[in-house]
Amino acid sequence: MRPLTPRKILGVCGVLFAVLFVVVVVSLRMGAYPISVRDIVMTLFNGVAGRREQIPSEFWLVVFGLRLPRIALGILVGAALSTAGAGFQALLRNPLADPYVLGVSSGAALGAIVSLVIAPHVPGLIQIAAFAGAAATIAAVYFLGRRGGQLDSPTLLLAGIVSASFLSAIIMFLMTTLSGRDLRGMAFWLMGDLSSPAAIDLRWLYFILLVVLGSIYTTSSDLNLILTGEQEARHLGVNVNRVKLVVYIGASLLTGLAVSVSGAIGYVGLLVPHVMRMLFGTDYRLLIPASALGGAIAIVIADTLARTVVAPTELPVGAMTALAGAPVFIYLMRRKVR
Amino acid sequence: MNVTAGSGAASGSQMGPLAAGPRPRLKVEQVSYAYAATDRSAPKFTLGPVSFEAQQRELIAILGPNASGKSTLLKLLGGVVKPLSGRVEIDGTEVGGLDLRTRAQKIALVQQESELLFPLRVWEYVLQGRYPYGKRLRFESDEDCLMAGNALAQVGADELRDRWMEQLSGGEKQRVILARALAQQPSLLLLDEPTQHLDIGGKVELLRRLRNLADENRYTVVVVTHELNLAAEFSDRIVLLQKGKCLRIGAPGEVYQRDLLEEVFEAPLEVETRTSGRPRVILRGSH
Amino acid sequence: MKIGHGPATVIGRRGILDARTAESQETCPGWSKLTLFARKSVAMSLAILARLFCFGARDFVGERLRRGWRRRAIFLCAAFCCAALNCATSGAMGDESYAKQQSSTTPASPSAPPAARPNASGKSAPATIVTDETGRRVAIPADVKRVVTLAPDLTETIYMLGLEDKLAGDTDYCDTPAAAKLKPHVGGPQNPNLEAIVALHPDLVLATTSINRSETVDALAKVGVAVYTANPHTVRGMLASTKRIAELIGAGDRGAELVAQSQARLDAISMRLADVPLVHVLFVVWENPLITIGQNTFIADALRCAGAESVILAKQNWPQISFEEVVRLEPDYIVFSSSHTGFGAQELAALRTKAGWKDLRAVELGHIAVVSEEVDRPSPGLVDAIEQLARQLHPDVFAPAENRKALLENGKVKMKNGNAPRRDAESLAGAAL
Repeated sequence: MRPLTPRKILGVCGVLFAVLFVVVVVSLRMGAYPISVRDIVMTLFNGVAGRREQIPSEFWLVVFGLRLPRIALGILVGAALSTAGAGFQALLRNPLADPYVLGVSSGAALGAIVSLVIAPHVPGLIQIAAFAGAAATIAAVYFLGRRGGQLDSPTLLLAGIVSASFLSAIIMFLMTTLSGRDLRGMAFWLMGDLSSPAAIDLRWLYFILLVVLGSIYTTSSDLNLILTGEQEARHLGVNVNRVKLVVYIGASLLTGLAVSVSGAIGYVGLLVPHVMRMLFGTDYRLLIPASALGGAIAIVIADTLARTVVAPTELPVGAMTALAGAPVFIYLMRRKVR
Repeated sequence: MNVTAGSGAASGSQMGPLAAGPRPRLKVEQVSYAYAATDRSAPKFTLGPVSFEAQQRELIAILGPNASGKSTLLKLLGGVVKPLSGRVEIDGTEVGGLDLRTRAQKIALVQQESELLFPLRVWEYVLQGRYPYGKRLRFESDEDCLMAGNALAQVGADELRDRWMEQLSGGEKQRVILARALAQQPSLLLLDEPTQHLDIGGKVELLRRLRNLADENRYTVVVVTHELNLAAEFSDRIVLLQKGKCLRIGAPGEVYQRDLLEEVFEAPLEVETRTSGRPRVILRGSH
Repeated sequence: MKIGHGPATVIGRRGILDARTAESQETCPGWSKLTLFARKSVAMSLAILARLFCFGARDFVGERLRRGWRRRAIFLCAAFCCAALNCATSGAMGDESYAKQQSSTTPASPSAPPAARPNASGKSAPATIVTDETGRRVAIPADVKRVVTLAPDLTETIYMLGLEDKLAGDTDYCDTPAAAKLKPHVGGPQNPNLEAIVALHPDLVLATTSINRSETVDALAKVGVAVYTANPHTVRGMLASTKRIAELIGAGDRGAELVAQSQARLDAISMRLADVPLVHVLFVVWENPLITIGQNTFIADALRCAGAESVILAKQNWPQISFEEVVRLEPDYIVFSSSHTGFGAQELAALRTKAGWKDLRAVELGHIAVVSEEVDRPSPGLVDAIEQLARQLHPDVFAPAENRKALLENGKVKMKNGNAPRRDAESLAGAAL
């Protein structure tokens, strides 16, 4: 009896893809601009077929200019954060690890603040600066978290937490001493906001996402073994140091990517892997794609709710993920059958 | 099962590298090791030099008081740390030169286990032992399942197959861990104090099982243990260490001398010889 | 963005940014080292990514491609996703199409069949390219019929220009004048709903740097909506901005008239105050913690127009100060804005009893000025607030005859004598509110 076959993985992914598709279609329907499902479908078909002239430009605008990019961004961010969360939970051997525990989001926030201070109205600079801040934090925490030249999980965790606190303190200092007008946007950025378009073309971001996701996925067998114990994994032939490095860099890059385009959306990276674990087991060969798809679904649902629940006001996505995620998690936890 | 170079049932009571005969499965030649607190300070601990050989079907026990270097020796045998001098060879190849996967195919090392983070079934746990065979991102093949099933049968844990790891008792868990090691199809089985958390029944059962595995399935087993009497009962040879020095290597009857044991363990001990010819250690003055 | 060398380089941005320029010059680091570092780290991260990819994907890809049907399935899925993604992300280029669509008839029911609607290649009204106050280039149609404002002060400006018929929508917080509350809302100034804005079919959207986020403006611009961002820093700048906006919407005459009137009033005040020394005030934005205004804020400029100056010289816009500073600096007047706590006579009396406050000379003498919340808002209505403030801060200069008359009517002694009884503050407050 084989526990996990590629067929099962493809099957689960297929189901999750279908759910994602349905969620995307529903999300396309909802919004402040009145447009019927029929018109949405016509717009989509004509758009895919290349017949742009046949669609009223305002429909095109709403579907392809406003809603779809936002949904696409949401999928990107959800997949990135959940996979990063799953990766960190294995790397740090801690079920409470989320993508921000190593200070990546604080570094990104600091980068964003610095860019707001120096050049507030340059379009897209805030995202590039945020990613730069995240990358710098990744490097710094890596060097702090080494022990004997290798990544040591408890040391890494400590280094990350310390960095996060330190960076948050700097951020607080900057926010109180600097011009309040410029930093008004920071509050939204910190809460997580999907309404701003990405500075870089989404296609490049997706490419990076898929590359990094693929790299992390190739270590999934190793992660299964590492979860039973690092020493045991070494004795079984796993190159633990290399795997840890790949997962660390990959997961941190994904976090930095997500945070720089959408701010720090919380709870997704922590809850989605756990929910997927409850539904599909702890095998990382299935968990990684399941988390990615599950995270995408979660963010799209949360974002749809965020922009329609109290229309026309938009709530921050991070608030919705917390509100919606925690009860789901509690429900699944109580229902868990051993 | 692997067919090893050394065939035949050598009795294994020879000492030293000069013994002629089939190539030994495990060969330890003047292995020494030292580590220091920092690079520049004097070594805090030195081990060795140690030399011995082991054939298949042999069970060797490494004994000694605490901090005598038993675990370090085991790690040297397993290739986890590189010796300062000397060589460790398995089936004629130096252990240090093997890449991780090949080493895992030949040597299975069972140490103190870590805590499991997430629930895992026994079957999945044992299947992880098949990792050294196959590519990096791998899915278990039918052969893997067959081997894992064999491993479970060898330790007599077939009925535990679908249980959760956390629900197992100490003895059952030890058997499952052993099964995972056996699933690696190793030539050499190394165990670091496997009887630590078991009750006396569990200890006996484990060592008896190891003995069976050595005899019937032709493994070479090296066990680090504190159990003097069980080691005497089940092992072919004993390696006695004290403070990093190898004091004696030989059959239990040869190594268990009262003066030697008293000096090493710093306890009032008596050695009796039982009818089977194997010695037994008891506390002096406990009549 | 221009990157130069040396500490005194301004980060390139076109626009009317005097005070802002001064600020940014202070905070510029040495750029040359940073760019080198940036280049190195980008190269390093690319190298890591490449290594990651190659290291990870080698076995995986090799094994996968050997199995026939799976390869095809994966290829199909990937192709489908790429196609979908392509459509999703390329749809953002809606510039010309949106503007052209706007030139056609007023919005009919959106569910009319596509064939009947004028398509994107229809005639387009001539649009002028304008540079707004943040340096952005905006294409504004010549005939602006529908305007959406994203800030309360802009809404007020529109009403003062008499253009409320063209106002298609405003924010939830636009409440001056009261009629603005009845217009369709698009959300808050910080987080407006983009679709709601688009649904109102605006020809022009007005934003301001004092409240709106640049991300909102970016998002609207990317979708092809014309957004003009005002960037008022001084009172006169605000007036110029108002005039420009009026021209863009096609009410140039009314705009010039309003601006000329406001300018005349301001000139009258400054003429009167020509020889009068500036009054030192503390403008209280928030009491606890004590927050006041910085040198570069709009309010500071309004104070200057009213012949006053903040005792606190700070570069931050909303500095939090300790009470000791206030005691040390001994302002002549303390100014409150009535939007915050709805200041009334009771609050003033309460202030008298508060520890610390009651010992201030200004409080003792009753030199408390309360001004309407207009002072926070860069719109032409600010001029009223400036006049009001000037009257309170320089009671002897401004229409002393009327003031004296009011005081005499209430049986109070006028301030000029110097021994003003305590109740004067209350009368001032009453006059202000």
